[in-house]
Parts: sequence; C-alpha cells; structure tokens
Amino acid sequence: MAMTVELPIRENADVTASSAPSGRLPRWARPALGLLLPLGLALAWEIIVALGLSNGRLVPPPTKVFATIAELARSGELARHITATLTRVLAGFGFGVIAGTLLGAVSGYWGLARRLLDPTVQALRAIPSIAWVPLFILWLGIFETSKVALIAVGVFFPVYLGVMGAILSVDRKIVEVGRAFRLSGPAMIRRILLPAVLPAYVVALRVGLGLGWMFVVAAEFMGASEGLGYLLVDGQQLGKPAQILAAIVIFAILGKTTDWLIEIASAPLLRWQDAFGRADGAA
Amino acid sequence: MLVLDRLAKVYPNGVHALERFSAEIKQGEIIAIIGGSGCGKSTLLRAIAGLDRATRGTVTLDDIVITGPHAKIGIIFQEPRLLPWLSVADNIGFGLSDAPSRVRRDKGAAALARVGLADKAKAWPRELSGGQAQRVAIARALVPQPEVLLLDEPFSALDAFTRRDLQDHLLDLWADTRPTLVLVTHDVDEAVVLADRVLVMRPRPGRLFDEITINLARPRDRHSAAFDNFKRRVMTALDRSLDRNVPDREGKSMSGEAMWW
Repeated sequence: MAMTVELPIRENADVTASSAPSGRLPRWARPALGLLLPLGLALAWEIIVALGLSNGRLVPPPTKVFATIAELARSGELARHITATLTRVLAGFGFGVIAGTLLGAVSGYWGLARRLLDPTVQALRAIPSIAWVPLFILWLGIFETSKVALIAVGVFFPVYLGVMGAILSVDRKIVEVGRAFRLSGPAMIRRILLPAVLPAYVVALRVGLGLGWMFVVAAEFMGASEGLGYLLVDGQQLGKPAQILAAIVIFAILGKTTDWLIEIASAPLLRWQDAFGRADGAA
Repeated sequence: MLVLDRLAKVYPNGVHALERFSAEIKQGEIIAIIGGSGCGKSTLLRAIAGLDRATRGTVTLDDIVITGPHAKIGIIFQEPRLLPWLSVADNIGFGLSDAPSRVRRDKGAAALARVGLADKAKAWPRELSGGQAQRVAIARALVPQPEVLLLDEPFSALDAFTRRDLQDHLLDLWADTRPTLVLVTHDVDEAVVLADRVLVMRPRPGRLFDEITINLARPRDRHSAAFDNFKRRVMTALDRSLDRNVPDREGKSMSGEAMWW
C-alpha cells in the first residue's frame, strides 16, 4: 500500500528531471540553435566582402568556397579525392579497430596478458604517432600501405584503451549475478561482459574514428597524388585558399557524417542507458 | 536438508571470518542469521551459495556437496543487481536461459504478475523504484524454482514501509513452493517476522552464538506481546553475543581470545 502512494510521485519526478536539461525548446529548435553562430559568422563575412570592406583573397567568402566545391564536383575531381581519403580512413580504421579490440580484450580479460602487454603498449602510446611516418615510409613505401598503417596506429590506441578500461571496470556485482546463474565462460562474455562494455566501446570507436580523420590528413601530407589532404597541400602551393577551405568543409562534413553513422548504428543497443538530458529518457 | 558442517573461512589476509559453523536446515524452513558487523554472516551465505569456497568444512544439500553455484540454490543480494541492458521481463528470464523461449516467456510473465509488476514487463531497470527493482530480483531468483533461496540483507536499502511490504510479500511467495530460505539480516524485527529459527552469530571470529526458535503462527502480528517477547529474546542474545566474556555455545570462554585480539 505504501508503494502505490509513492510510485506516481516518483514517476512524475523522473519526467521533469529528464526533460528539464533540454529546456523548453521544441525538438527542431535545438539543432537550429547550434547552427546560428556558424551561419551568422559566414553571412557576416559574405556581407563584409560584398561591401568591399575586405578583398577576401586570403579568406574567401562562403559563396566562393561553395563555388569551388561545385566546380570540383562537376569535374569529377571531388568524387575521386573523397573516395581516396574515405578508403584510407576506412581501411586504417578497420585495421586499428580490429587490433585494438583484440589486444584490448585480451589485456582486459586476462591479468597475465595485461602485465605482459600493457607496459609496452603504453610506452608505444607515448610516442607521437606522426613520428612513425619516416619509418613507415621506409618499411612500407610511399603508397597506400604506409598511409593506412599510420591511420591504423592512430585508431588503435583509443580503441585498445577503451576496450581494456571498459572490461576492467565491469561491475563485479553484475558478474557475480552471472556466476550465481552458472553462466559458462562464453555465455558470461556474451551475456554480461559484451553488453556491459558496449557503451564505452562505442565511445572508443568514435574517438578512434576522430583520430583516424586526423591522421589521414597527416598521411596525405606525406605525399599523395589524390585525396582531400592532397587538395590542402595543392591549394597551399598554388595559392588557392578557396580550395583549402573547400577541403576543410568536406573534411568536417565527412567526419561528422561517419561519427553520426556510428551513433545511429549503436543507438538501438544503448537505449537502456540512463543518459543525462535525453528527452525520451522517461519514455 | 541443507547441512553446514564445521564451515570455516580464513581470508588471505589472515582474518578469520568464520569458524566451525555447523547447522542443519530442514527443507522449507526459514532461517534468519543475525549478528553484529564482522560476524561472518555474509561470508557464510556466500559459502552456501558457492560463490566463495569455505577454507574448511562442507555445505551439503540433499547429499550433494556444494562446491560452486548450484541450480537448486538461488541468491538475492542487498542490491537488486538487475542487468541494466535487459528489460524487466528479460531480467526475469535471465535465470531460465536453458529453457526454450516460449517457456521462458510464460514463466517470466507469471512470475512478474506474481510480484505485482505485470505492467512493468517492458520497462528498463532504471525506471523502477528501489522496492520494485528488488521485487524483480526476487522474481528472477524464484523463477528457476530453487530448493534453497539465500537472501543477503535483501531489504536493508529500502525505506521502512517498502521493507514491511516486501517482507510480507516474500512470505506470500515462499508459501507457493516453500523453498528453504536463509536470510542474513541485522534487523531484529525482520528476523522475528520471517524466521522459524533465528541463528545469532558473534563476531571475530564469526561463529554460532545462540539459536532461538520462533514458534509463532503465520501471519505474525507485529504488535502482539508474544512477538515482542521473541524480539526481546533475540535482542538480548545479540547484546550478549557482543560481550566477549560470555561463554559461547560450546561452553568455552572467549575471554582469552578476546585479549589476544
């Protein structure tokens, strides 16, 4: 009888608590609010250049940047460069994730492996990854292999750390529930450990992907005949700031899109999480 | 019959958590284990559950020596320990993973209805109140129909009203299949409401100090004089258990050991 008295109160409290952080804004207004500042700045710059207050030679106005993108797209150049960069990122990300996940899982699950492996990995992590570039070029040549390897190295560390840390921080009490219900080793991994580490793993993947995009630029700086990084270098050497900005805009769009794809793909698996400020939290 | 034979547990750091604990518990009996902190009551429960091995001694259930978690023994912890990524219904089905999915669904739904939470089947554990979550934990432990259900201070994190509610509810559920209940608690009221026998333990090292049989008919009236009388007896035993100069059940004075400690 006591339960029926306190329950509705609690549920109401939940609803208000979870909708409060999002404020009173309607659903569509939140992304719009985030766009206000960049769009406002772009518009202001466009007007300043149009009024002749600046010649816009070093910082071209948005229309010129988009005209450059349109031009690149029409000639088919853009597709070629995007394909080259995207292929490198995805290959490097793939290898980095596979290696990071395997080694991270082994280190997290098995204490002996951790003591054996982790100090070395941590030492290697202290080396700025760009420092590997000369060695990779000597070992793997100047073409795709060395670029993919560099990206993979960049992706590896956050994924490795994320997986290992997530496994180490799995709640011992939850594992004990699995033991009390006599789960076998594989069942324990599948039914307790995997779901428990998933949120941290998704975060690690997203951090890894971010680093992958960072390292693809470094990789393409070290000598490429195509790719968005090549567009940057080419734009600098030939004095075409609009082309540089065009490449930067496309980097931003691609980076955000791929990150969003991970988020979308993992969302159904993470619906159970008690996320702060999630509007549908109480539903 | 659950037989505990001279159970002892010494932790690697040299702490004697439990010493020569013996008891015979009949099928369907409700036992409350009560004692001051550090008396080894949780250690004892974990040894019966097979989660920790005792250093010496054996746990035997119907002539089977228990060496690890066993299908016939269920356990409920102080916290609900629901799996946050499973819905309430799937949490209850968790203990039936070997069963076909239809059996699991039907039994789970029945158990959920039995604890009065049928409308919460699709909810996430985080959406439950403390009392509701503990009900789900009880349902999860009962669904595989264990012969012995161990409870480690299951209601101590709940407010007084919810606690009473769940104590009564536990007795209700117990009446369905009459499993043996072994309940660790530090709440005298709870021990006297639920138990057929209260085992009082004394700390450092944890051992059996006294045993009080509660021969009151159920449902028990918490306000009756007889109830109060039993409460007083348990309380007196508890007080005496914390006084090191009182001889324990084997008649040996503990004073020498107390000085050593």
